Amino acid sequence: MKDLYDTRFQSVKEIQQEFESHQYICNTQIATCVYIAHNLQKPVMVEGPAGVGKTELAKTTAEILGVPLVRLQCYEGLDESKALYEWKYGKQLLYTQLLKDKLGDVLDGAVGLSQSMVKLQNHEDLFFSEGFLEPRPLYKALQEEHGCVLLIDEIDKSDHEFEAFLLEILSEFQVSIPELGTIKAKIKPLVFLTSNNTREMSDALKRRCLHLHIDFPDEQLERRILNKRVPELSANLTKEVVSFVQQIRELDLKKAPSVAESIDWAKTLLLLHAEHLDTALVKDTLNVILKFEDDIAAVNEQAAKFIKKAKAQ
Amino acid sequence: MQQTLEDFFKVVRSAGVNVSVADSIETSKAVQLVGYADRGILKDTLALSLAKTLDEKNTLNECFDQYFSFNTFKKDALIEETEAASAIASEPQEPAAEYEGELELAKILLQQDKAKLAQSMKKAAREANITDIWLFTQKGINTRKIMNKMGLNELNSEIAQLASGDCPAERALAGQLRAAQQYLFEEVRNFVEQQLAMYGKTASQNIHESFLKESRLSNIEKRDFEVMVKIVRKMAKRLSSIHSKKRKRQDRGHLDFRKTLRQNMAYDGAMFKIYWKSKVIDKPRILALCDISPSVASYSRFLLLFLYSLSDVLDRIDTSVFTNSLIDVNDIFERFPVQQAIEKISHDYGMGGSDYGSTLLDLKKDYLEHVDNKTTVIILGDARNNNLAPQTEVMKLLYQRAKRVIWLNPEHKNFWGTGDSEMLAYKPYCHIIKQCNSINQLEKILDDILKASAQKA
Repeated sequence: MKDLYDTRFQSVKEIQQEFESHQYICNTQIATCVYIAHNLQKPVMVEGPAGVGKTELAKTTAEILGVPLVRLQCYEGLDESKALYEWKYGKQLLYTQLLKDKLGDVLDGAVGLSQSMVKLQNHEDLFFSEGFLEPRPLYKALQEEHGCVLLIDEIDKSDHEFEAFLLEILSEFQVSIPELGTIKAKIKPLVFLTSNNTREMSDALKRRCLHLHIDFPDEQLERRILNKRVPELSANLTKEVVSFVQQIRELDLKKAPSVAESIDWAKTLLLLHAEHLDTALVKDTLNVILKFEDDIAAVNEQAAKFIKKAKAQ
Repeated sequence: MQQTLEDFFKVVRSAGVNVSVADSIETSKAVQLVGYADRGILKDTLALSLAKTLDEKNTLNECFDQYFSFNTFKKDALIEETEAASAIASEPQEPAAEYEGELELAKILLQQDKAKLAQSMKKAAREANITDIWLFTQKGINTRKIMNKMGLNELNSEIAQLASGDCPAERALAGQLRAAQQYLFEEVRNFVEQQLAMYGKTASQNIHESFLKESRLSNIEKRDFEVMVKIVRKMAKRLSSIHSKKRKRQDRGHLDFRKTLRQNMAYDGAMFKIYWKSKVIDKPRILALCDISPSVASYSRFLLLFLYSLSDVLDRIDTSVFTNSLIDVNDIFERFPVQQAIEKISHDYGMGGSDYGSTLLDLKKDYLEHVDNKTTVIILGDARNNNLAPQTEVMKLLYQRAKRVIWLNPEHKNFWGTGDSEMLAYKPYCHIIKQCNSINQLEKILDDILKASAQKA
């Protein structure tokens, strides 16, 4: 198996093509970002609205580089024991119970408390060794033999404490476990942090990362994405779908439809054997791309206008 | 190229993006990797590693276009001017002599080599430390410095020498050179102006902002409102980031016995994990009462703007405005964005003289039951009651119920209690009374409120 940094990209263009052959269409900005991140071994912070392919970017990168993807989903209250490692208390307890009988052998006729202590101290570390360690995603990522892509998803959902804790990992790629010492990454993982911007991340964290903002794609790019993802859809309908979605993104909606949603919609239309958009069809399937009642009502009002414009193009 | 890049960092910094030394090192590495061949990729690279938010990305893109533009020395203009000059020159039929002097600048000018001219200008500009330009008053001197570095003095004496001679061809040459010199001057001046626009962006802005922060809120003119909104947002953001962090404080030393027992049940009651009691810090709940009679309307405007920008760190804000009776305006704030809401309120209700007495009676009737020991009441007004009954007993009730009553008065302390001001009558029933004039004072007061709520918990 190849190591993470054995694959060498010659240019930004090459990355773009690689991504495309893995069904992920990206603009030069994204490709440049991956190029720099891979060459300088820097973490990437990806921001943008939900459903524009932030998580997908990390997955595809892992696929291209041929290394495993280690994923850490963040949530409020996530702490070290869930992210890094935990001692298997149960196993430790069980073993002490089981080994109780062996205690006599270990002590081997030691007399008095102090002698027994000296004998015991030689064995103490057994219970805090790797056998009793429950590795969590971050620990796993550092231990990967060939390197990996580490995806820290929705970092904005985590607490400030966790964010501070990440700083050491992201700059040194090492963590200190009191009982075992410092664990260093065998090969620095390629890190992607994604954020939906529900809260501002600290400057210290941002400073360590490349900052990539993925926005909704423009019309041309979105058409190419749909072509790749739903190739069975006719060219005409693809054009209409993209134009329609682009138009409603301009509206002031609670949640604008993302790329993921336009793909879903395209699949839905394919299933319904639609040839063209029309008002009735749009009305029936609008709930695929819009997730709020108010939004659906707002778009329904102007649906006819949008369809007309979509067809005119 | 490194120098160019560093100058660019300077431009970006002056546009308000924070670029640390570490940032610039990392960015230089990245740029070295991608190279300068592709303008688009270079731009992306800089945006990726320097800008940390979307706003910063936009600023950076602007800076990039401005900085890496090469539209100085339009060649056509140079040719036209020199041609025009030779046409006007006294002996038009006389062709100008070949220039045989040693002066590099004269040669470049006559060859009309735009690229070389630009190069020489940029070199001179660097020697003259153009990147230190901050204020528009430095324009003249910087232009002069660059011209001098490019060899203006030598050129002048060369022209004088040529013009003083008898040969008409040489005189024509002198005329040509003079025109070229004029052209050069304009171009350099233009260049300096561009540089000023890039490097001096924040300097003049900062001066303006610090002036606005200190000036009386009632004196701020309408055209500065946009800037004020920005300032308030910035201040509010800072306050929220300071106060949003400590929502929960662990109280080490007090064992949370119940939780510890429950969590350790899996280990047979052996206490592997110990939990301490923690205190949740309440976000302050605020009831804002704002006088919007014409004399204090502008103060209320900024207080409200500030309060609503702080909504992250506040539990809830109830706002009522009054002139002679209390009007609940929460629904307006729910329906419109803050700025619009404030406009609408002062437009709809901001008439008439203030009557604090009847306002307080309204408060007693409709609101007092909502005020509890978590509520901070902020009253903004000058307490000028137009000689009506002050109804201090309602203030007393409010004082007893609320966590804190804070009165912000735009008037100077010395005027409290003079004329129809009832400030001294209300004073015993307020926890804090502050004179509140400028946006700086407002920031300090709100900071105190947030701090106090963290300490009390």
